[in-house]
Parts: sequence; structure tokens; C-alpha cells
Amino acid sequence: MAEQTWLRQYVILERAALRAQLQYRVNFWTTLMGGVAYQGTQLLFLGVLLGKFGLIGGWGFSEVAFVFAMRLASHALYVVPFGALMFTDEMVRDGEFDRVLLRPVNPFLQLVTRRFQLMALGDALLGFGALAIFGWQAPVDWTPAKIGYLILAVVGGGLVETGIQTFFCGLSFVATSTFSLRIFADSSITQFSGYPLTMFGRATFYAFCTLFPMAFISFLPATVLLGRTSDVPLPTWLTTLSPLAGPVVLALGYSFFTKMMPRYTSPGS
Amino acid sequence: MSTAEQVRAFRGMTRAGTRSVLIYRGDLITGAVTLVIQVVLAIAVWRIVYSGRGPVDGVDARTAVAYAAIAACLQSVLLPWQFSSLPMRIRNGQIATDLTRPLGLIWQVFGQNLGVLLGRLPLGAFGLAAAAVLGALTLPPGWAAGLLSLVATVGGVLVAMLCNLIVSMVTFWTFEVGGPLIVYRFGSAFLSGSLIPLWFMPGWLRASVEWLPFQAQVYTPVSIYLGQTRGGQALALVGVQLVWVVLLTGLLELVWRRARYRVVVQGG
Repeated sequence: MAEQTWLRQYVILERAALRAQLQYRVNFWTTLMGGVAYQGTQLLFLGVLLGKFGLIGGWGFSEVAFVFAMRLASHALYVVPFGALMFTDEMVRDGEFDRVLLRPVNPFLQLVTRRFQLMALGDALLGFGALAIFGWQAPVDWTPAKIGYLILAVVGGGLVETGIQTFFCGLSFVATSTFSLRIFADSSITQFSGYPLTMFGRATFYAFCTLFPMAFISFLPATVLLGRTSDVPLPTWLTTLSPLAGPVVLALGYSFFTKMMPRYTSPGS
Repeated sequence: MSTAEQVRAFRGMTRAGTRSVLIYRGDLITGAVTLVIQVVLAIAVWRIVYSGRGPVDGVDARTAVAYAAIAACLQSVLLPWQFSSLPMRIRNGQIATDLTRPLGLIWQVFGQNLGVLLGRLPLGAFGLAAAAVLGALTLPPGWAAGLLSLVATVGGVLVAMLCNLIVSMVTFWTFEVGGPLIVYRFGSAFLSGSLIPLWFMPGWLRASVEWLPFQAQVYTPVSIYLGQTRGGQALALVGVQLVWVVLLTGLLELVWRRARYRVVVQGG
């Protein structure tokens, strides 16, 4: 086993997981649609809201939709490769994690390849589609440098979300059921990270930069691209560096995960 | 089994459902905190879009904010993420035991779902309390509206439970039901008017939403409570709920009759 790199292990396990999911045809198509419906209703909501009210926190639809698209593309980069983290809870509770510990592969790698999240493909479809459309319509003069920054920002955002979810996985070793917490993270990010986050007031905004670092997922880098860094109560250089938060949050989340894992206790006999 | 015994069995299923929610206390607490945060943010969003503006489409800021808060709480009680154990039971073969029980399967599942719903009620109460603290709640315009909205809430719950049950039944055909459930959950979150009230929807969208059962779940009770729908119109909306309850019960019966012949018991 030792001669296999972890990337190779990942590919093998993930392919098996995908094959398992593709067995249920109807489910495959409806789940794909589910991904689109989940995120699509949010876009529809923003469209109806801003169609009626014009501006929110001084931002118009083209700007909000651009943040939404960046967020969704980032989300796809988390959920396609790492979405199975969602099931950690269940595995810890049912004691299936015993099996993970017995196998000669990194436990984290086994967790992320546990089950392929089909819904993720719907997210990816809508996310990258929306990014192409709303990126085009956003008030940004695109240059190669800006496109490069956009790519870094989207990848960084994906890593932030992965980091947050990995942290929750660590928590599930001691808390048994973290399902609500996870749903909370997921639905808060879905529902609220598209807004100009500064509109919730300074204290809430700082909380979104630290406690629950949702601001790094798309809002902060988007202000750089949209030329709106003056809206943000942070120094411009710091806002510009926001894509770097991705690796930092992931490293923190992962170290918490490895620290908590030894505290796993097998349920039942 | 006599009727009295059946009622007792049904009540037993309901209790089991409630217990299945209440046993994960940590989960329940985070659920409540989550709902509170979401209610607070939703209130903030609506206050910000209105910021000093007068009524839009005849709806003032107070009403829109109260709607957002109440609808979010109602939605979280009506549409939990894991609302039925039926799909799991079909997948792992437990359905065989369920079918041999003296109480019909539909009633078992219905009882269990009702229990889950009751167990989640305190959660909704938490959300409402937070909204009240923030001054986002308003009282109904009168006793009649208040009473009617209560009736409409029960109607909404029935419609929601019937819809949930019908969607869960799909598992008899597909085994994996994650997909249909997700489409249903998010489709209905928007179509029930819990994200945005029907008042603000463009004409074409509103017209299509009015033909679907989802608006009966959240929009009908909340808009009656807030006095946005009054008098004959309000009664008509409750009438529509009743029609949906009858239609969906018929559909459930039909689906179940066919599903019975599709039962495949998995596992040895």
C-alpha cells in the first residue's frame, strides 16, 4: 500500500464511489436536478428581490449575481471532491468509522471518498455556468491578471468551505451528532454569502471574517474585482490577500480533525 | 385490531417519532441556534432592502419583515432535512417487518412523521421568540384572522405531510431517494413562499405558483395571519387547502396501492 501516492488512492476510491452512485439512474438525474434546484431557487430569490427593490446594501443585481456565481463555483470545488465529509457524522454514530481505522489508508481520504455526492455535479454545472454569464455581465474590465485573481479566489473559497466542514468532522468525534451544525454552515453560506456582507453591520461582518469565515468565500475577493474595496472596513492590502485564507482555514480545520480523531469511541459492543 | 387499538398504535408511533428528535439534544440545540441566526439575518435582509422605503406593492416594511421571520420558522418545522425513516427502511429491508405490523404502513409512517413534527415545534418557538425580541413580530388584525390563520396552519401542516409522504413513497421504485427529496425540498422552499412572499413575485411566476400545493403550506397561513389576505379571499385560500388535502390523500392512496406490488425486501 505504501507505494501508492495518496492522490492515486483518492482516484481509485473516488471512482468506486462514483460507480456505486451511478447505479441508481433515476436518482442520478433527479439529484443532478436537485443541485440545480437548490442553488437555482436562491438565484431566483435574488432575482425576484432585486427586481422589486433594485438595490441591496447599495449593490445591484449584476454585482450580487456575480458574488453568487463566485460562491457557487467555490462551493462546487468543495463539494465535488470533498462532499462526502457530510456523512462523517453518520459513520461515527453507526460505528462504521471502526472500519476506516482498520484500513491502511489515511482516514480523511477514506471519509471524502465514502460516497460520491451526485448533487455536486448540479452545483458545478450551475456554478461555472453562472460564473461565465454573470462574470461577463458584471461591471469588471476583465484583464488576464483579473481572470487569474478570479481563479485564485474561487479555489481559495472552495478551500475555506472544505476547511470549515473538516473542522465539523473533527467535532463529530466528540459531539456525535453535528448534523444541524453542518446544515447550518451549508445553508448560511448558501443563503447569505451572496449579499454584500458589510450590510449586516461591522460586528457581524468581523464575525464573518473570523468566527465563521464566510466572507473569504467570495465577498472579499469580489470587492477587489468590482472595485468596491472601500465598502470593506479592512485595509485594502488585506482584502486583496483574501484568497490566501483558503489554505490557512483548511490547515486549521485539518489539524483540528487529526487532533480530535483519537477521541473517537466506538459505539455498541 | 379495533379502532381504539389502532389509535393507540398510532399514538405510539407518534411518540417514537417525537423521541427520535428529542433524543439528540445537542442536535436540537444547534438546530435552534441555527434557526435563530437565520431568522435574525432574514430580518436584517428585509429591513435593509426596505431601508426607509414606503410600502412596496401595498406591503410595508413591518409586514414584510414579520412575514420573513414567521415563514422561516414555519418552514423549519414543516420541512426537516430527515423527515421520514421510510426511505431508509425500504433500502435496508426493514420494511418487511413494518408490513407485518397490525397498523397499516401509511399510518405508521404518518404517525412517525407527525411525531417528528411535534418534536420540532420547540425549535420553531425559539425562532419566533428571537423574532419577537427583535420587534419583528406583529399581531393579527383581529380575532377572526388569528383563528383562521390557526386553521390554515393545520391545513398547511396536512398538505406538507401528505406531500412529504408521497415523495418518500418514490423509494419503492428507485431505492435511492436522495435526489427526489432534494428537488422537492428546495423546490417547495421557494414555491411555498417561505423565501419570498407571493406578493413580490412577478405575475407569471405567481400565477404558476398558485396552481401548486406548496403555497398552501406556508404562504396561506402567514398571509392570513398578517392580514394581507382577508375576508372572502382568506376563506377561499383555506378552501384551496382543503381541496389539496383531498386531492393529495387520493394521490397517496393511489401511489400506495401501486407501491404495495413493488415492495422488494432487500437483505437476507
